[in-house]
Amino acid sequence: MFRPRVIPVLLLNHDHLVKSISFRDYQYIGDPLNAVRIFNELEADELTFLDISATRNNRLISLDLIREIGEESNMPFNVGGGIRQIAQIKDVIRAGAEKVIIGSYAASNPDFITKASNEFGSSTITVCMDVKKNFFGKEQVWTINGTKPSGIDPLEFARLMEKNGAGEIIVQSISRDGKMNGYDLSLIKRIATNINIPTVALGGAGNLEDLKTTYVETHVTGLAAGSIFVYYDRNKGVLINYPEKKDFNFNDTE
Amino acid sequence: MNRTYQVCTRCVMDTTDPEIVFDENGVCNHCTGWFITQAKLANRKKFGKKNLEKIINKIKKRGRGKKYDVVLGISGGVDSCYTAYVLKKLGLRTLLVHLDNGWNSDNAIINIKNIASRLNFDYQSFVLDWEEFRDIQLAFLKASVVEIETPTDIAIQGALHRVAAKNGVKYIISGGNLATEGILPKMWHYDAKDTVYFDYITRTFGAKKVRKFPHFDFTLEIYYKFIKGIKIIYPLNYVDYDKSNAITILKEELGWKDYGSKHHESRFTKFVQSYLLLKKFDLDYRKATYSSQICAGKITREEALIALKAPAYNEEEIQKEKDYIAKKLSISREELENIISLPGKYYFEYPNDENRLNFIYKIYRKYFS
Repeated sequence: MFRPRVIPVLLLNHDHLVKSISFRDYQYIGDPLNAVRIFNELEADELTFLDISATRNNRLISLDLIREIGEESNMPFNVGGGIRQIAQIKDVIRAGAEKVIIGSYAASNPDFITKASNEFGSSTITVCMDVKKNFFGKEQVWTINGTKPSGIDPLEFARLMEKNGAGEIIVQSISRDGKMNGYDLSLIKRIATNINIPTVALGGAGNLEDLKTTYVETHVTGLAAGSIFVYYDRNKGVLINYPEKKDFNFNDTE
Repeated sequence: MNRTYQVCTRCVMDTTDPEIVFDENGVCNHCTGWFITQAKLANRKKFGKKNLEKIINKIKKRGRGKKYDVVLGISGGVDSCYTAYVLKKLGLRTLLVHLDNGWNSDNAIINIKNIASRLNFDYQSFVLDWEEFRDIQLAFLKASVVEIETPTDIAIQGALHRVAAKNGVKYIISGGNLATEGILPKMWHYDAKDTVYFDYITRTFGAKKVRKFPHFDFTLEIYYKFIKGIKIIYPLNYVDYDKSNAITILKEELGWKDYGSKHHESRFTKFVQSYLLLKKFDLDYRKATYSSQICAGKITREEALIALKAPAYNEEEIQKEKDYIAKKLSISREELENIISLPGKYYFEYPNDENRLNFIYKIYRKYFS
């Protein structure tokens, strides 16, 4: 039975884990290595690590940390944070990551994706776009951890990334991030139905029902989320968790 | 401390506890002490149900108009999970609080999640700043003392009191109990609230100034108790607490999972108790556990002696675990081996506040409890 990949997204600030609400209000949630060990035992499909302060501080996500994660992780994992050179992709892959995720730099230098996918193959290159409405209600792609509007329309951007050779696109809603009241279905649907490369939904998942609804309505290939995998309950107590395989009945649509 | 080796004739405690004392029949102070405690406990149990009822009514009265009646510290282990179950039966609105010190096992968190969801209790965590806590743990490891888990013990108390105070809750519930904790020599575990001792070790062997750590010392204990009016209650001491019975209930009703052995909900605790203390102090934690079980009539002394012949840890497993522990503590494997091979030290070999604390607690017990 086919089912979408269900991917915990863990945000890093340097070497520790944080979780945000709408890309702000960062809460410290602990140490990444222990989280990896727990996700191993819980048999997560894959993990995604994004260093939220790398681009802003003009540095790359820590290679030492990627190496340590790689040594512990039984799952494939993807990393993003400050990537803007071919050599850096090489380093990140060599350190153990399965795919690299490029965000801000893809928006300012779309050609970089062409170069990267020529060099490493498109299956290694994922583009993450952070989407928010501007003051006039127009959706656009934002960069540098949601601080700078690029003026680019999300679908236009997604099509360009596909054309340039991206293997996958993560569609993230900035305003829904950490709110736990559901994905931005219309945005995700608009992107997923208009491009041919795999699309991953991110931002807003609050329970398994949200994952299922999104899958049924948009047919994304991946469902990514932060809060539901690191928090338990309304008090947002930190508790690493992952649904059991039997809870993934995405095709049961009664 | 070169005593001739001697083992108790009733339990399996022996001279690996340097302070052990034997009577003329070769019976040690630990099991004798255990029976005295149990006698007291039996006496208390006679009135247990009624006393507990009284306390519960008082708790409910004080909790009126508030979101929670009590705060319960939950580790994912049998004692704390079963206590949660008891609190549900008693109808107390409970806030579960878990201290995350960076070493949680998957079992522990699955248990916590199941308990919280099936009992429909709210859950909050207190996450220690790992960078700082790692430095504190390393300091205790380098000091080569028995009390490697003291920082965690302090943090649990500190976290519970802070969360209780913040939520205006007047009662902290503990899964601690006399029935199963039983035997634990003082030399194996010195008083956690000694700040002189804690500060000396973190300042001498640590690299960082301790800032965010949720301290809990004597002054804070007084503050929370008398200014904030927070009390600690141990409900398991009022009910007939049988561990194997509790495990059956937890498994059947709450989807609880077994760890295999006591206090192994944390990987670090497992490493310390089943390996490090044995290497450094020849201290086999199982002796205390088995001795308690012998006294309670759960196993025979002969069974315990046979069980003790089996290795306390699996050599292959421990090698793998060491790799992880070194990585987690951000030290090299070599450095970890060096720390392991340092000769063990007892608390009195470092500056401490034992005399003053003993004096204060004596007065305290005399006049306030």
